[in-house]
Amino acid sequence: MPNLFKMPVLQIDNLSKNYGRLKALNKLSLTVEKGQIMGILGPNGSGKTTTLGIILGILKASGGDYSWFDGTMGHNYRLNIGSILETPNFYPYLDADDNLEIVRQIKKVDDRNFDDLLDLVKLSGRRKSKFKTYSLGMKQRLAIAATMIGDPDVVIFDEPTNGLDPQGISEVRNTLTEIASRGKTVIMASHILAEVEKICSHVAIIKNGKLLATGPVGSILSSDIFLELKSDDTDKLMGFLRSNQSIKKIELKDGVIECTASENLNPAELNASAFSHGIQLSHLVSRKRKLEEEFLEITR
Amino acid sequence: MKSPVKEKLMFRLIKLEWTKFRKNTVIQLLILFFFLFFPACLYFGTLIPELPSFLPSKESFFQFPDIWDYLGYAGNWIAFFFIGVASVYLLTIEVSNKTMRQSIINGLTRNEFFLSKLLSIIIISAIASAFYAVLGLIIGLIHTEGFDLVAAFDNDWAIARFFLMCLSYTSFALMLAYIFRKSGLAVFFYISYVIIIEPLLRYFIIERVEEASFTRYFPMNACEDLMPLPVMRYANAIPDNIDFAFLLEYKEAVTATIIYLALFISLSYFLFKKRDI
Repeated sequence: MPNLFKMPVLQIDNLSKNYGRLKALNKLSLTVEKGQIMGILGPNGSGKTTTLGIILGILKASGGDYSWFDGTMGHNYRLNIGSILETPNFYPYLDADDNLEIVRQIKKVDDRNFDDLLDLVKLSGRRKSKFKTYSLGMKQRLAIAATMIGDPDVVIFDEPTNGLDPQGISEVRNTLTEIASRGKTVIMASHILAEVEKICSHVAIIKNGKLLATGPVGSILSSDIFLELKSDDTDKLMGFLRSNQSIKKIELKDGVIECTASENLNPAELNASAFSHGIQLSHLVSRKRKLEEEFLEITR
Repeated sequence: MKSPVKEKLMFRLIKLEWTKFRKNTVIQLLILFFFLFFPACLYFGTLIPELPSFLPSKESFFQFPDIWDYLGYAGNWIAFFFIGVASVYLLTIEVSNKTMRQSIINGLTRNEFFLSKLLSIIIISAIASAFYAVLGLIIGLIHTEGFDLVAAFDNDWAIARFFLMCLSYTSFALMLAYIFRKSGLAVFFYISYVIIIEPLLRYFIIERVEEASFTRYFPMNACEDLMPLPVMRYANAIPDNIDFAFLLEYKEAVTATIIYLALFISLSYFLFKKRDI
């Protein structure tokens, strides 16, 4: 019997996409399981939207394969996915109700009542205004409401907070967290680390169309400690640090020594030990490495 | 809970197109202008000065059966412009608003989307033809003495020819929309092809090639010959340095148009299925 809780919702196999000589995607493989909140993280132009475009059937892959719901839904898989790609796409001359009605008809959903959805995204007051009169934040929220029509098992968001002001970003993030808490499988593309870190359970890091790393957010986020040290006698300090077993990497940048150390290193003890070796530190900073640096490290 | 609405596919797609476009100002205006300008053309008919004696009197243009030819020719221009441009717009506005993309993302298959546009142009052409039929009947009844329904419809399948003509314009326009994807470009090419490019091309071929009667089978000329300028029938009798009839016989025009129709639609389909959206 298949394990229902481990069912792959999406399986991507060696997906490639070429635009002329440019390889937008280069043999990318990725699996998303039921209930995961998967963040696809990568700099702009890394292939995030291309990947989503292919798995949603609007872009043709140059190679590779993908399958949704283990192939159980055939060509109808998109009816069980709510998705926004790049920008909120609606008919500018229609109001929120008409635009949602069009999505409802396409999704073959019976329920014509959009009150709850519009409440969720706080658009009830403007539901009779034309889409073209909306602010960017309102457009994005309407798009989020549209993804929820028919209560799909999977929702996909592509750069959901792009171009929004801080107020809009916080509103959209709250809505996304709310949606994620309903037990849906969420796939979210973003180039903003903090967003992925806050919302996602899993992360896949993409650069130049290649998958660099994937796994639970906690495992990608390394537990190493990052240290900055400075002393009048830099050479002596370097020698002292090299003799320490916990320190993995040492680099000298503009007179400041930067190093990574395993998490059992205690900065206070290090300071005391240095002093007993006759080294006086003029500068000591320690912090846990954040995903941001990890991300820059991985994508460098 | 989900419970898929069970409706016939065609009905579902027509309803979807209706929801998308019933409040669209451009489509509303184009169709309104079609309905206004079509009968208005008749008014210009009354302004024609006396015709040369070898032609029938202009009064006969408003009577059965000539009303069908005259009204059909007026409709030829009106349909070419308003319905053709509307057909381009039906697709290009979905490209520019990225709603075509979103429709597919939301779950419409490419086949369904393609079919929805095809159904739209068929329905628009059918409505235009119904309007032509009603208009022709009313005007004919007013101007013809005596009421004879059989004589009224003795018109060489004019209504069916009108429908085919509309379908040819709209499917050509829709094909250009699939090719160019941008309203401006597609409309510009559509209008300039029909009134400049093809006539010029024919002109150059007729000038240079001895056996040039095949140019009458060019796509838009064949389509126009479904509803030709009525007096052109008489022009066939006027001797000229061109040694072939100006117009295609109806049968020839119908056959050519149906072949082009199949070509336009299959090319559109092929392009739409193959390209990224």
